[in-house]
Amino acid sequence: MNWVRIRKDSIKINGTTLPTNHCGMEMLKEVYKQLIGGYPKFFKMDALCRLGFIASELLLQQESPRITDTERRAVILFNRSSSLCDDRSYQTTIQDTEKFFPSPAVFVYTLPNIVTGEISIRNKYYGETLFCVLDKFNANEIFQVVKESFLDSMTNDVITGWVDCESDDDFEASMILVGPNDPDFNPDFINEIYKHN
Amino acid sequence: MDNLQDILKQQIIDALNLEEIEIGDIDNDAPLFGEGLGLDSIDALELIVLLERNYGIKIKDPALGKEIFKSVNVLYDYVSKNRTK
Amino acid sequence: MSERIVITGAGIVSAIGNNKQQCLESLKMGASGIGEVRFLDTEHHEFPVGEVKMSNLEMCNLLGISNKQVHSRTTLMGIIAVKEALTQARADSLYCPLTLISGTTVGGMDVTERYLSKSQDMTQEECVSCITTHTCGASTNAIAAYFGNTFNSTLTPSTACSSALNAITLGCDLIKAGLAQVVVAGGSECLSLFHLNGFKSLMILDTEPCKPFDNNRKGLNLGEGAAFVVLESEQHAAERGANVMATIAGYGNACDAFHQTASSPDGEGAFLAMSKALGDAQLAANDIDYINAHGTGTPNNDQSESAAIHRLFGDDMPPVSSTKSFTGHTTSASGAIETVISLLVLQEQFLPANLNWESSIEDDGIVPVRKATSASLHNVMCNSFGFGGNDSSLILSKYSE
Repeated sequence: MNWVRIRKDSIKINGTTLPTNHCGMEMLKEVYKQLIGGYPKFFKMDALCRLGFIASELLLQQESPRITDTERRAVILFNRSSSLCDDRSYQTTIQDTEKFFPSPAVFVYTLPNIVTGEISIRNKYYGETLFCVLDKFNANEIFQVVKESFLDSMTNDVITGWVDCESDDDFEASMILVGPNDPDFNPDFINEIYKHN
Repeated sequence: MDNLQDILKQQIIDALNLEEIEIGDIDNDAPLFGEGLGLDSIDALELIVLLERNYGIKIKDPALGKEIFKSVNVLYDYVSKNRTK
Repeated sequence: MSERIVITGAGIVSAIGNNKQQCLESLKMGASGIGEVRFLDTEHHEFPVGEVKMSNLEMCNLLGISNKQVHSRTTLMGIIAVKEALTQARADSLYCPLTLISGTTVGGMDVTERYLSKSQDMTQEECVSCITTHTCGASTNAIAAYFGNTFNSTLTPSTACSSALNAITLGCDLIKAGLAQVVVAGGSECLSLFHLNGFKSLMILDTEPCKPFDNNRKGLNLGEGAAFVVLESEQHAAERGANVMATIAGYGNACDAFHQTASSPDGEGAFLAMSKALGDAQLAANDIDYINAHGTGTPNNDQSESAAIHRLFGDDMPPVSSTKSFTGHTTSASGAIETVISLLVLQEQFLPANLNWESSIEDDGIVPVRKATSASLHNVMCNSFGFGGNDSSLILSKYSE
């Protein structure tokens, strides 16, 4: 099972550190430019979507051949802060009655599930997408929701994980690609990746 | 920057987060949408906000936006004629 | 063979009524709840909205809770609807702990706005309760807390306008997977300045009452409300002698994978979601007797959804209507509000109207139900689509043992 762990100052892929020169948003941009590229939409995304996008790209770069254009892959993500980071940006556009210009481009990212949409658009995934807001990181809840998603007979595998973004420079993500019968997939495994240093 | 075309280009780049695009990359007559800069419907709405914020131009019908944003030159003409600030 | 999931209780509060009975009467009379804004403190009176016809204070009084603390309208409406659902399901006779799944996106944003607004004097106590109640999950927890020990776990799916329908299907999955016995699932969402201005910036709000599926539709009217259903296995319901309202025959979720907010012209995601729901229910397209469409009234959604319905049903299209012409688009709550409306329609055997419709969309247009009509209904489909391309469809069936 491939996995990716992103903290605000480090990235690990399957336990190996990806060398980076920057922290926070600059680190995500660095990874985009060095290892991904060719997808200018990245720069239009809010921080939560950039984080989820980078995590999913690094995860899927481990897959060979990379699967795209399928109804059989689900994207099910969780976090604690919902879209708070972008909510704040949008609020600044409607806070001042003198300079009241609500931004449509910022507003569309005030929905946390847009990140599942961005990953699906990038990879042409037509399967299930779901986003849940939890009180705090909870491996058992994540495990249960992912496990039951396999009740959908259409679903072969699931990109799942924790994608939480408090601000442009304070975020964390852990993401895995899991099949219905992966023997290692259990709450302990989800916890282990999340706690991985 | 002294001419309005370049100012508009820079404002478009900033408003739409076209991070890898520079003023020189945008042709005055090239289409902004579709093939051009790969802009979409949300970008069009954001440009409508830009026109109101920077030039006091209020556009009520998003379909009109499609006409105005055909190219930098078309936009330039429209802004020159209709700006209130 | 997985067990059948049944609905044994339902509650609703929306612009057309504060409970099932009131909503049913409005639907039968063709009386829309959309009108000029009254409770949301906004300058934008040009946009009609579907507000619940109670102030926060009236809701507090109805529920017997103190208004000293600040309560989100999302929470208050949620409690009203959950209470009605639990009462009908005779939840007091249940000895197992329940799970509450509430879809929302706005959550306690109304409270955040009160906090941010400089014009209101607030006590320190009120400020604290603003800060602790504004998140999505907090509204779910606050709804659960009202019911004491009834709920032992909560979950808050947030998939934009399909949140509440996904809450219901998630509840069914939890029961099928043996992870819960009884789930109360739905959603709640109040109006906020935050999303009213956001939708305005997307230029998809109509200044007139919305006209879903009409060729001259201009956009949607925002609404608010809450609805919840009590879900359990057929066997569990039978064992405790609960009255079954309907069966959840099947459901499906698919991603349109087209654009963050726009639906694809051919309605790929909607088509896949409806197809999956039919497959899950083991029904053919012509088994569906009525579709409660997502039908927001925006040019994009209604064109895309019409295309998807045409692709799936061809010339043999069942009656279709969008009851958003009554309630407004209740965003994250809409999937549950329209599931409960579909449930009422199935029980009362009638087709609700799609108000304000005059002419068919060019190419692929559909002619919706124009006034409430009696009909023999066995299987009813309810569509709910959200930004992010998150498309869901649910099929309810008349219960027979």
